Amino acid sequence: MSESNSAGMFSGRKSEGLVLVVDDEPDVRKVVRMTLEKSGYTVLEAEDGEKAIAEMKKDENSLLLSLIITDIRMPNMNGIDVINYYRKEWPSVPLIVLTGFPDMDMATSMLQHGIADYLVKPVEAEKLRSSVSKTLEKREVHGF
Amino acid sequence: MNNTDQTNIVILGAGKGGTALLDLFTRLPGVTVVGISDQNPAAPALEYAKRLNIPITQDPVQLIRHPGTHLIVNVTGDPDINEQVNTHKHPETEMLGGAASKVLWDLVQDESQMQAQLFQAEKLAGMGTFASGIAHDINNPLYILLAFSENILEETDLPTIHKQARSIIAAGKRIQSISQKITQYTRAAKVQDAVSINVNSTLDEALNIAQFATMLQDISIIRNYEDNLEVLANSEELFQVFVNLMTNAIHAMEGKGTLTVTSYHEDSFGKISIADTGSGIPDENLSKIFEPFFTTKPKGEGTGLGLHNARAIIKKYRGDLSVESTIRQGTTFVIELPYATSK
Repeated sequence: MSESNSAGMFSGRKSEGLVLVVDDEPDVRKVVRMTLEKSGYTVLEAEDGEKAIAEMKKDENSLLLSLIITDIRMPNMNGIDVINYYRKEWPSVPLIVLTGFPDMDMATSMLQHGIADYLVKPVEAEKLRSSVSKTLEKREVHGF
Repeated sequence: MNNTDQTNIVILGAGKGGTALLDLFTRLPGVTVVGISDQNPAAPALEYAKRLNIPITQDPVQLIRHPGTHLIVNVTGDPDINEQVNTHKHPETEMLGGAASKVLWDLVQDESQMQAQLFQAEKLAGMGTFASGIAHDINNPLYILLAFSENILEETDLPTIHKQARSIIAAGKRIQSISQKITQYTRAAKVQDAVSINVNSTLDEALNIAQFATMLQDISIIRNYEDNLEVLANSEELFQVFVNLMTNAIHAMEGKGTLTVTSYHEDSFGKISIADTGSGIPDENLSKIFEPFFTTKPKGEGTGLGLHNARAIIKKYRGDLSVESTIRQGTTFVIELPYATSK
């Protein structure tokens, strides 16, 4: 399992895309990384929004970023704040919310705010992969 | 009956009936229980009365003769006692016995059963509030647990398998601890006895549960505890009151604010204040919040019994629950309970 945290360092076979995973739980990040790396994605991790931005400012990560998968629990922010936070920084990078909240109202309101998908933990590996690949396909079609 | 505001009552019999009546009478304003008797020194209400500083005796005649008594309630079920009452009581003292006292006892029991059902209803309604918070807390470790287990089925690298197995165990333990917190909350209170309770640890346990209602919210919690504060109450019930007041406070802040929990003592009372920085309660509602079925929540979300029950519990332990509120600044609930000197 690659522990590399910089997209510039991956080599060999071509990456399917650079995905940033934001969650305050290291094991959750590890699970997402493990799941996506098996499908050829390159995964970066960050503990919270601020660290995510710091991570992306390294090297040329920001240019390569294809997708953000994020939890919506963050200090001093509500769910919508979290979305707007990323929007401000990277207006064209799609967001997938991965949360423990099985809340329909929340999901609807988030999707209305333009997120690509709302996934509830525990999410099956296949479902996570297909959500990521669909989101990235759409992105190519729309030519972000 | 004399033309005074105060009714002095004597209870003969300290079994189940005597206990229920003692409990009722001591909660009624304007009623003083001047004494209780039972020939059996181990009768339950005698022990109860002792704690309430109500005189007890094994000799009913001593109580029957007590001057200034307005009413003698006889729940001994002993036919000889009626005769003794008639012989020894003051002419102006009235007596309630036989079928009449039995009916009174039945009424008291029925009332307390209804109270218990109402408590249960409120608890279940409260549970709904926490459900999504609890689901969130369980889903995180569940995700870790399932994903690593699936991976281990295919994984061949032994150190990785070991590492992930450890994560699975840690995740399982987290779910276990959540489950313990929940059972603690849903367990119905059985013991009614007032015992010395560690206020701060009960507050912490309640905060553990109340934090399920703060999910996705920007709410900070401040604890100002006086060390080793102990009060006399029932820990399950006190826990329930704390959770109730804390969740109310969290709801009142609508997603943003500070919950301050303070414990201290003043004279012979241990005090606990639970303060929010929410929208405050308008004056016209402030006088009604302890009334049963009063709620400002939409239909189906509140039973309107939470604060009513909370105050009933606190009063039962000779305490008080009061409120102060300022519009746009917040609301503070203060519980006071008899202070237990440290063991």
